[in-house]
Amino acid sequence: MLKKPLRAPLAFAFLCLCAAPAAWAQHQHGSDVFEVFYAVEAMAGSGQSHPSEDDDTYVNADILFAASTHQFRVLGELFVSPEEADLERMQFGYEFVPDTVLWVGRFHMPASAWNSEHHHGRYLQTSITRPFIERWEDEHGLIPQHITGALLETRQSLGAASALQFAGGVGASSSWGDHQYEPVDLIGENPGRHRTSLSARLAYLPEYEGTSSAGFLFAHDQLYTTNPQLLNALNSAHVVLTLSGAYIDWTVNKWRVMGAGYYVNVALDQTARNESFISAYLQVERLLPHELTVFSRVEDSARMQESRYVALFDDHDGDIDVALRRQALGLRWDFVRRQAFTVELSHVATLGFRSNEVRLQWSGVIP
Amino acid sequence: MERCYSVRRAAANLLSALLLLAGVAFSAPPTERLVLIVSAESKVEQLDSLEVRKLFLGMTVEHNGTRLSALLNESDPVIKEVFLQNVVAMTETTYDRRLLQLALQHGALLPAVYTDNTRLLAAVVADPAAVSFAWYRDVAQDKKIKILRVLWHD
Repeated sequence: MLKKPLRAPLAFAFLCLCAAPAAWAQHQHGSDVFEVFYAVEAMAGSGQSHPSEDDDTYVNADILFAASTHQFRVLGELFVSPEEADLERMQFGYEFVPDTVLWVGRFHMPASAWNSEHHHGRYLQTSITRPFIERWEDEHGLIPQHITGALLETRQSLGAASALQFAGGVGASSSWGDHQYEPVDLIGENPGRHRTSLSARLAYLPEYEGTSSAGFLFAHDQLYTTNPQLLNALNSAHVVLTLSGAYIDWTVNKWRVMGAGYYVNVALDQTARNESFISAYLQVERLLPHELTVFSRVEDSARMQESRYVALFDDHDGDIDVALRRQALGLRWDFVRRQAFTVELSHVATLGFRSNEVRLQWSGVIP
Repeated sequence: MERCYSVRRAAANLLSALLLLAGVAFSAPPTERLVLIVSAESKVEQLDSLEVRKLFLGMTVEHNGTRLSALLNESDPVIKEVFLQNVVAMTETTYDRRLLQLALQHGALLPAVYTDNTRLLAAVVADPAAVSFAWYRDVAQDKKIKILRVLWHD
């Protein structure tokens, strides 16, 4: 979605790019972060109404910057593509004690298992696509993913090597737009109507500094709309979305398993019209010789097909369809440092039809 | 029978030679040692393996009220390989990806990289919060450097 006016984000992107050499020079002596995650993608599909426009764009860049002085931190993530330029995260933090940080700003909700791990950086996710339930707001995602407010992150030792991790955020939720949520925009216009959002994750880590974790997820979003189309469809100006779930991201030798299950309750003004649905996915990855990784993912859902609420996200004359199920299989090749080539085949069942897709992606990080 | 005896004797001689070589190898003093270093002015007296791993992954490590900073020594390919295998126990690709993940997820800072040993040691000496690693032979005589412990020896 094109944000207007674009001058502010483009000026910001230009500033970031101009600052890149200076930031990199600092990295040699200091330790600030300036990384550009980029991806170039091509896809072909059968049976879709708009296969070329599904998911993210064919080229995009995610600019990450972070700096720290004493106990103060700043972290930003700017996502740029031909269709948008959005400051996805802008957080200012204070680290009270090691690994306990209070952030204020716009951040990703901690209850998303996938997005808390990969954020917008395509290079760090093995597969090309994200599970449908983890989609961003401007991709007609079903769960609000951005909160503007305060976020507490902490990790505490548990025994000799393991740890407990907690992240909890509270702040302004998304509002309802045209077939999609509209989170608080830091550099564009905000029509208002933002209500409260709560989101939390509690995880067990077998190794304090390791990559494996498993835990519970919770989110509670109050949404409000004045859109006549939505009011007619829901017969309700308010929606209270409550998510509870569990996830696992476990690595054992050359195997990695990522999975999450979400139960989403949709409460409306008239309780008789309340509904709920379930969505889950499981991705298995296996490292192979020659820097190859094979992966497979299965996504499934229950009661989404009958949900009036879910149907609101289906853009009938647009570019994105709500996926109910997906089976994906792919191969990633990290052919050189910080560069990867990925191919992914998938079969998708949406609200309206079934389709097959093949995607190719070249992703990497600069510098 | 005679031939069988000579083969046995040759095998015994070969085994003796191998044992002798192995004995020499095991009794030889270590020729290379990778040591964990800080400035002589540093208050840090010791860091355990978990703290060292956290530090070189960009996580916060505090010691006596001081936030430590990691300096990566990439002055030669061998020292980098030994560090990856024995300190963080990761391949180069995995280590790089882990640093990127932590930066992306929590804004964790990247360890500063030094490809010149002299500049690295000067940076360690200048900053009491800096922690790095070097070959023992390069720092053994340096009074401005404090060796915390041996990370690896051959």
